[in-house]
Amino acid sequence: MTIKKKILLIDDDKDFLFATKLILEKGGYEVFMAEDGKTGVDMWKSINPDLAIIDMMMETWGEGFSVLNKIRATDTGKETPLFMLSAVDLQGPYNSFEPPPEFPKVNKVLHKPIKADDLLRMIAQELSGK
Amino acid sequence: MSNTPEKPLILVIDDEEALRDGCRQVLEKCGYAVLTAEQGDEGIKLARERMPAMAFVDLKMPHMSGMEIIEILARDLPDIVLVMITGFASIVSAVEAIQKGAYDYLPKPFNPDQLRALTKRGLDHRNLKIETKKLKEEKEQMTKNFITFVSHEMRSPLVVIRQYIEALKEIAGDRFDKDVREIIERCRKRIQNLEEMVEHWLDISRIENGTLAQQKASLSLASIISRSVEEMTPLCKKKGISLETSISKKLPQITGDAESLVRVFTNVIGNATKYTPNGGKITVKAQNDEYYITVSIADTGRGIPSDKLLLIFEPFFRCGGKNDKQSSSGLGLTFCKKIMESHNGSIAVSSKEGEGTTFVLTFPASINTSKNNSGQVC
Repeated sequence: MTIKKKILLIDDDKDFLFATKLILEKGGYEVFMAEDGKTGVDMWKSINPDLAIIDMMMETWGEGFSVLNKIRATDTGKETPLFMLSAVDLQGPYNSFEPPPEFPKVNKVLHKPIKADDLLRMIAQELSGK
Repeated sequence: MSNTPEKPLILVIDDEEALRDGCRQVLEKCGYAVLTAEQGDEGIKLARERMPAMAFVDLKMPHMSGMEIIEILARDLPDIVLVMITGFASIVSAVEAIQKGAYDYLPKPFNPDQLRALTKRGLDHRNLKIETKKLKEEKEQMTKNFITFVSHEMRSPLVVIRQYIEALKEIAGDRFDKDVREIIERCRKRIQNLEEMVEHWLDISRIENGTLAQQKASLSLASIISRSVEEMTPLCKKKGISLETSISKKLPQITGDAESLVRVFTNVIGNATKYTPNGGKITVKAQNDEYYITVSIADTGRGIPSDKLLLIFEPFFRCGGKNDKQSSSGLGLTFCKKIMESHNGSIAVSSKEGEGTTFVLTFPASINTSKNNSGQVC
């Protein structure tokens, strides 16, 4: 029996979490969901996932970045692949956002909505590359 | 703090003491606060300090002429209502004063009734002007808020629905039969169209209120065209349409935003593919003269009826009406037109039913960029 790889989803939109969970489970992953940044970081520490997908904009703009920082600061979070999710409208008021130079590594930035096969392909690539 | 409960402040600049006193008496009786000045520089100083709502300025005074004072006050206090008092009521000087920013003129001698009537009319005019300005600002703010609302509140449910459909599609494969999968796919397409429509509408609103991020730089139209053609080639191949280009090698540079221009070209070419049958041809030609670059995009499609030709740049207009099988937001060409206008260019169309349609895009050629940056000569 093979052990399923674990993926942590952090997003404050329940529906988006659920839809993405269905896709990932179909792809053969074990999925954990967190609806806010704090829970996300706690879950990261307790379940030790193989990959995490973090929404950029949760309760506050930039919440996703602080989650990213906290995860990267943990012992297990230094090298684990992390994807950022964004529905940020690049023409909108946030288009001027630029990550600071010392910004922790993001393996991929995904734009919502994300196609099921694209998502599964990118995750597979990232996890096999290790 | 608002000035409304206070008395409207009126300034009279005239070298004749009797006239100043006369005006003061009449206006104060009407409930206005009055300031007077004997000379131009004194009057201007007072006006800058006290910001009167209205000023009467004598045309003929020693040192500084009324015309000069009017010019300065109109520039310094945009909302002030200026009236030129003139002893020799010539139309020429009245017109000049109005051109310089005066609201009206008052010929000497005048009686208290005339002064009262003109003051009331002038203040009403000022209130309307201020009100209009406020409304305009509010309207702009509302447009901006609405854009933000649409871009965040309306898009997020669409994004979630699309994500659900993606999930459904992913699990449908083995759980549902073909009909159900077909329904899912159709829903996906319609939602995607709706999402595109919201996107296009947002883009157009942003061009209109000047918040579309455009990075204008000197660029070669030839490379924009080849990028667009490259992007559209797979679609044309799939539809059995040949896509040919003929671009003059001597095209001058233009000033523009590469991303939005590529979108204009792919939009127009994409449109052509929708209405051109298998075996048809789309030709993109670019040439220039001294002042303009013209790019024509011609197809051998079914053409557009002449009565509809004028309407195709209108938002939400579709040639085939509601039964048009082609999916479209009805905003693509509106977007193209707005982008072309923001590049000081234009887009035109000609068509013959059964023979094809040609779109012509015209760009002003920038002779050299430094010249363009230094401002236009009008």
